[in-house]
Amino acid sequence: MTYHLNFDFVWRHFDKLGWGLVLSLELAFISILIGMAIGLSLALAYTGGGRFTRGIVAGYVEFIRNVPLLLLVYLVFYGVPSVGGFAYDATTSFVITLAVYAGATMVEVFRAGLAAIPGGLIDAGKAIGLTGWQRLLCVRLPTMFRIVLPSLSNAYVSLFKDTSLASVIAVPELTYGAQWINTNSFRVIEVWSVTAPMYLVTGYGLLFLLQRLERRFAVH
Amino acid sequence: MSGSQDRRDMLKLSGLGIAAGVMSGIGAGVGSFLTPEQAYAQAQPTSLLRTVLDRKKLIVGTGSTNAPWHFEDEKGQLTGMDIAMARILAAGLFDDPTKVEFVKQDPAARIPNITTGKVDIVIQFMTVTAQRAQLVAFSRPYYLEGVALLTSTKGKLKTHKQLLAAGKAARVSVLQNVYADRMVRAALPQATVMQLDTEANAIQALDSGRSDTAAIDLSTVRWLVKRNPNAYLDAGYSYWPQLYSAAMRQGDPDWLNWVNTTFAVAIFATEAEIYDKGLEDFFGQKPPVRKPGFPPI
Repeated sequence: MTYHLNFDFVWRHFDKLGWGLVLSLELAFISILIGMAIGLSLALAYTGGGRFTRGIVAGYVEFIRNVPLLLLVYLVFYGVPSVGGFAYDATTSFVITLAVYAGATMVEVFRAGLAAIPGGLIDAGKAIGLTGWQRLLCVRLPTMFRIVLPSLSNAYVSLFKDTSLASVIAVPELTYGAQWINTNSFRVIEVWSVTAPMYLVTGYGLLFLLQRLERRFAVH
Repeated sequence: MSGSQDRRDMLKLSGLGIAAGVMSGIGAGVGSFLTPEQAYAQAQPTSLLRTVLDRKKLIVGTGSTNAPWHFEDEKGQLTGMDIAMARILAAGLFDDPTKVEFVKQDPAARIPNITTGKVDIVIQFMTVTAQRAQLVAFSRPYYLEGVALLTSTKGKLKTHKQLLAAGKAARVSVLQNVYADRMVRAALPQATVMQLDTEANAIQALDSGRSDTAAIDLSTVRWLVKRNPNAYLDAGYSYWPQLYSAAMRQGDPDWLNWVNTTFAVAIFATEAEIYDKGLEDFFGQKPPVRKPGFPPI
């Protein structure tokens, strides 16, 4: 049997893919911002806190990093409302899930970044009379961010790809749009052969931009 | 002399005729004792019918999470009306309804698994549509299904009237499928539609309060309400008739014709035992009386 390619339906409904891509980028961007806030707070708590605090943070990281993201998506979307939790839409549910997931990755990234700051810089800050908060804001954090930029770039591109899982809870991002076209036209090869390059080109574009940022702020 | 010669010729011819008749009779008699396997298909060498007979088992793509069509019983065995249809085919091929291998698949994989040859046939509550018929060959229908609205006993909106009155505030979960939006709007024109990846998740959305109603098969609504009267309700509105057929690869008329013949015999004629039992067990229905005379098909 010869398969006859026909991209008409895909091009007719390309807006679902285009706007879906925009939503995927938004989901990734918002999630990583929240994830960074979670990760940084917990990394600072881990490095400055006692055994109990370190235990809590380590437990969170191990749980999130060892449970598949898909399970977390289902747990937050179906599970939380089932036990009488608060109501929120599918997009919010996914952002929460992805942010919590990103947070676990960011804890490790920032913890490593904080550990990599040369001790001499911190001593110099103490020597010129900076307080703890001043050393954090003016010495440690700026240095840490420059050190962890490559890891942040990788995390962002990875989170962008992870947004495809939002399709299982009907968030209208890129994969969901592709699934809609697939179920309504049954043109499996056509729709996925258009969608996959969209992920590839976008991911590569993001990496290119982030690498330029890295070169600009690299620690030499 | 010529008269005698004529009589001898006539006798010879008659003798040959009688011998031919006897041989045909013996052949027919022997043929009627052959098993389906021994009779062997006269299908084209490239037909799937020949391949399946050689393989000695049928490979069927189906699901496992949608009662009463395809689901697992307490022992973990697949059962349901789709499973019954597969067993009808196996019985027709091998005189043994158990000679089936089931490949569990998502609804989204129904057409790809056919076109790539992963399965011989898909029997998975598949609605016949013109678009799908461009890609697969459909068998004759084996059921006329409808859509109904499942609601929760814990929900605020329990009936179709209440859902309609709620307008945009009514949230409907449905399997992501062709016509899904149109199908929901035919019953609830203003409702908010949530298309999810599986019918099981559409019901899960209702359970977790994510939706006010799940638009699913009428037979599934009846099944769930009967078995869980404390959890589920039928909103009292069924609509959207749709034909369910098995799907096969295109370009194999021998296989398609065989499946159609076997289904027709199972639904309308003499091999109806498995079909009738399925109708009763899974839908609580009795088939109409099969009267001799004018064929209904």
